[in-house]
Amino acid sequence: MRRALVLGAALALGSCSPGERGQGLYIQRFFGECTSDYGTATDVAKAEGECGIITTLINAFERAHPEARVSQNVVAWPGYSQLTAQMAARQPPDLVTMHSGVIPDYAGKGLLEPVEPYLAAAGLSPGIFTPAARQGVTWKGRMYGLPWDTHGGLWHINLGLFRKAGLVGADGNPILPRSPEELLSQGRQFRERTGKPYLIQSLVGDPAGAARILYTYMMTQGAPVFSDPKHIRLDTPEGRRVAELFRDVTREGIGTSNMDTPAAIAAFMNGEGGVYPTGTWMIGQFETEEKTRGRPLFQSYSVQPFPQLYGRNLMFVSGHAWVVPKRARTPAERQAIADYFRFMAARNGDWARTGHLPSVQAVIDGRQFLSLPHRRDIAVVARIGRALPDGVLRQNAIEGLVGEEMAAAITGQKPIAKALSDADRRVNEFLDEVQ
Amino acid sequence: MSGTGIRRDPGLAFVGPFLLIYCLVLILPMLHGLWLSLHVIDIWGDGRFAGLANYARLVADPVFGQSLVNTFVVTLMVVPILTVIALALALALNRASRGAAVLRGIFFSSAVLSVTIVTLIWRFILAPDAGLLGEVAKAIGAEPVPFLSSPGLALWALAITTIWWSIGLPMLLFVAGLQQVPADLYEAAALDRASRWRTFVSITLPSLKRTTILVVMLQTAAQLQLFGQAQLLTAGGPSGASRTVVLFMNEVAFGRWELGYAQAAAEVLFVIILGVTLAQYWLTGRAGEGEGGR
Amino acid sequence: MAADAVAARTRLPLPALIGVLVGAAIMLTPLVWTILLSIKANAALVGNSSAALSPPWTLQNYAAIFGNGQTMRWLVNSLIVSTGTTIGVLILTSLAGYGFARLDFPGRRPLFLFVLMGLAIPGQAVILSQHQLFAWANLHNSYPGLILPGLTTSFGVFFMTQYMRAIPRELDEAALLDGASHWRIFTRIILPLTRPAQSTLAVFTFLGSWNDYWWPLISATRSEMYTLTVGLAAAQMNYAQTSGLGYLMAQAVFASLPIFIVYLIFQKQIIAAMAGTALK
Repeated sequence: MRRALVLGAALALGSCSPGERGQGLYIQRFFGECTSDYGTATDVAKAEGECGIITTLINAFERAHPEARVSQNVVAWPGYSQLTAQMAARQPPDLVTMHSGVIPDYAGKGLLEPVEPYLAAAGLSPGIFTPAARQGVTWKGRMYGLPWDTHGGLWHINLGLFRKAGLVGADGNPILPRSPEELLSQGRQFRERTGKPYLIQSLVGDPAGAARILYTYMMTQGAPVFSDPKHIRLDTPEGRRVAELFRDVTREGIGTSNMDTPAAIAAFMNGEGGVYPTGTWMIGQFETEEKTRGRPLFQSYSVQPFPQLYGRNLMFVSGHAWVVPKRARTPAERQAIADYFRFMAARNGDWARTGHLPSVQAVIDGRQFLSLPHRRDIAVVARIGRALPDGVLRQNAIEGLVGEEMAAAITGQKPIAKALSDADRRVNEFLDEVQ
Repeated sequence: MSGTGIRRDPGLAFVGPFLLIYCLVLILPMLHGLWLSLHVIDIWGDGRFAGLANYARLVADPVFGQSLVNTFVVTLMVVPILTVIALALALALNRASRGAAVLRGIFFSSAVLSVTIVTLIWRFILAPDAGLLGEVAKAIGAEPVPFLSSPGLALWALAITTIWWSIGLPMLLFVAGLQQVPADLYEAAALDRASRWRTFVSITLPSLKRTTILVVMLQTAAQLQLFGQAQLLTAGGPSGASRTVVLFMNEVAFGRWELGYAQAAAEVLFVIILGVTLAQYWLTGRAGEGEGGR
Repeated sequence: MAADAVAARTRLPLPALIGVLVGAAIMLTPLVWTILLSIKANAALVGNSSAALSPPWTLQNYAAIFGNGQTMRWLVNSLIVSTGTTIGVLILTSLAGYGFARLDFPGRRPLFLFVLMGLAIPGQAVILSQHQLFAWANLHNSYPGLILPGLTTSFGVFFMTQYMRAIPRELDEAALLDGASHWRIFTRIILPLTRPAQSTLAVFTFLGSWNDYWWPLISATRSEMYTLTVGLAAAQMNYAQTSGLGYLMAQAVFASLPIFIVYLIFQKQIIAAMAGTALK
């Protein structure tokens, strides 16, 4: 009996839940939680890392716009299970971080607001953004987010080991292959002279990495990955060429084959290989290694876009954006969103210190950005970067399928023709069913 | 029925509260899921009625078939080994000493961890480069075993992790079962100068029959639903070699938004687990049901 | 217990003792290693997790956990949800267990099988439908919303039913002859005898609720309603395994402590409880 009363009390108490939101700007993001380090600090210039910089930026916005009444929600990356659930329960946030590849899914269901009105109210012309960034948030001709950054694949290079392998040019820059044959020959040369693998590949549990390789190198051969938004074509001579090249690299031991992402990061930081192909998001961490005496990467780090092994100068990119889920809003709330856009666009350069590329063209061309280490080498990504065609839905899920098959092909667990045709079949069957 | 005035037991009043919540919060959604499985429908409700089309697609889907096989295999890997180890531990630790209590606590301690942490720990142990086992292998000059990246070994990685994580409850169940064995049986055996092994085989094991079936039943149902370890330790890989049915469901529903298809897979799994569980339940000879106690 | 005395008299043979000790080492090593990692600075562990074995050690990761303003809130949320679920389960399953074990009513056997069926339903099979239902009932981001799904435990009913069946009927029958109502028998006679089972079920329910991830993830989406497991996952940065390993492990230790304490408190009851279940 006593217990029943306790339960009743607990339930009654529990019914006093936060319930409906009061007015105010509800911002939801990933990138981690670091209030113990940054608390309510607003000094963006002193902040380090994705978490530090975004926390201080939002704190600074709060300080500058108290009338917006900001509440912040941090979610585990990438946060889409939660966001979908929130939208299904009709309690979405006001602003949320979203990958550009995912925007068509939510926009296509009418769950996002087009942002041109907010940009206009903020005095931002769509033309201020880089082509890659702008394409990333555009769907069926309308923009559905404030482009925040562009990120794509990069080769992170251990200069010291490259020097030892004789692959550093007179200008101090690493020599990169310009064709598949050169990749193999330079890889062999590297291994002979240093005894370590040329490529540190994270093929375990990293489908995004494997998909990135396939997409990029098919694009550079001029092969459209998607013949139309509902059909993928990977099992083509171009696709097989890429798979064969990397399968050979792996089979000869020029590239590692057993590592997942944490293992690969650790290996690169410990000087266990020449190149770690990953993306812009690791620049910040590796820069820290570069500056730390006694570490293998000390003063021995360079970063370059994926080498152009085939004809065209293109690469596959993605990006982050701030999107606005659809719900009824008061004029004050709309104004707050516009203020947020204006504030963040003006500070896009600060975000670039994470390693991601800015979305604002003027920032990329500007001195503040280019004076950051290594940025000159990679600024071109904003120009040559391409996302998948607009109309392609469920890009995340597709990347998972494609990456799984590609990794199987590269490691030799599946014959290449079967892996690519399986990928085609699974993706096309899936896209057929998509509503 | 003895007693006057009690013509019908108020049983429904006692089981009512649980049944109410059970039906509303579990059965109703399950029926809704069944209804969803008959539609090609996404998470937002856009779709059409499709009858058994999802089920036909499942039958033809090699990825689903692979996940079914994986699920059965990992269950067969885990349940027998777990049962034997738990029984062995219970035999060894079924005593009143302080040391036994401490050791029982140690074997239970892994059960308090969440799956996130368990898989994090075991990833560090099993990863070939720089993992604990890898370091040990290198130290003795052997090749590190690529548990997480080899299709043939990924399920073993899941099995080992699961056994380490789940040893606590079965062990305790066996300890309790052992404590129920009447002492006079052991005394009679001692009088007959029966060997330890004979005592075990002829007295202990038969007395533990119900406990063993209980353990096997619960663990089988649990492992057929294996999910967290597959998602976090191997992500179902490499190339689906360790993808279980529940992981398949999660990927299809949350990753691809194909709700109808995911629910069809859920129904198939439910029927399988139900069949297996009921078969085991009947095997116990109706485990005391209908009996009034001793 | 007599059987216990018999067991105590027999010495454990040496190979068995060694086997048990090796097993205990296998159980403990990963846990000790987790604790060691949790007391190292993140930077020291980058790329080199064996640094955990040597000094210097630090408590800064734990300080960081508490420095995050919401950790205590998350801890309280988890405590409320887990305790609420446990109390609710104990009440509901005790009542149902008595009904199934002691009372005869039309449909008892099919209803019991109906309840057993729940063992075969994976959480992922119903989670999205449950989510829709709770959205319609406006129960998300609330404690009842987090507690209710945990109350549908077939295992709990099965467990309590089996335990209560083992209690000798003579006690009931005597009371019935005295004119006692079933409610009185339940509360005065049966319930007190089930304390060990209640303790066991309490520990396992608390444990399951504490470590539950998916339901709280999609139901309690506002950070002030996060449970500890969801909150700690959200607080992780990308690549936390590399650059935030110490912090990650400190979170793990911190999140595990309450349950381990609960287990230690109830340990003796648990063994006694098990004795009643797997009977005969």
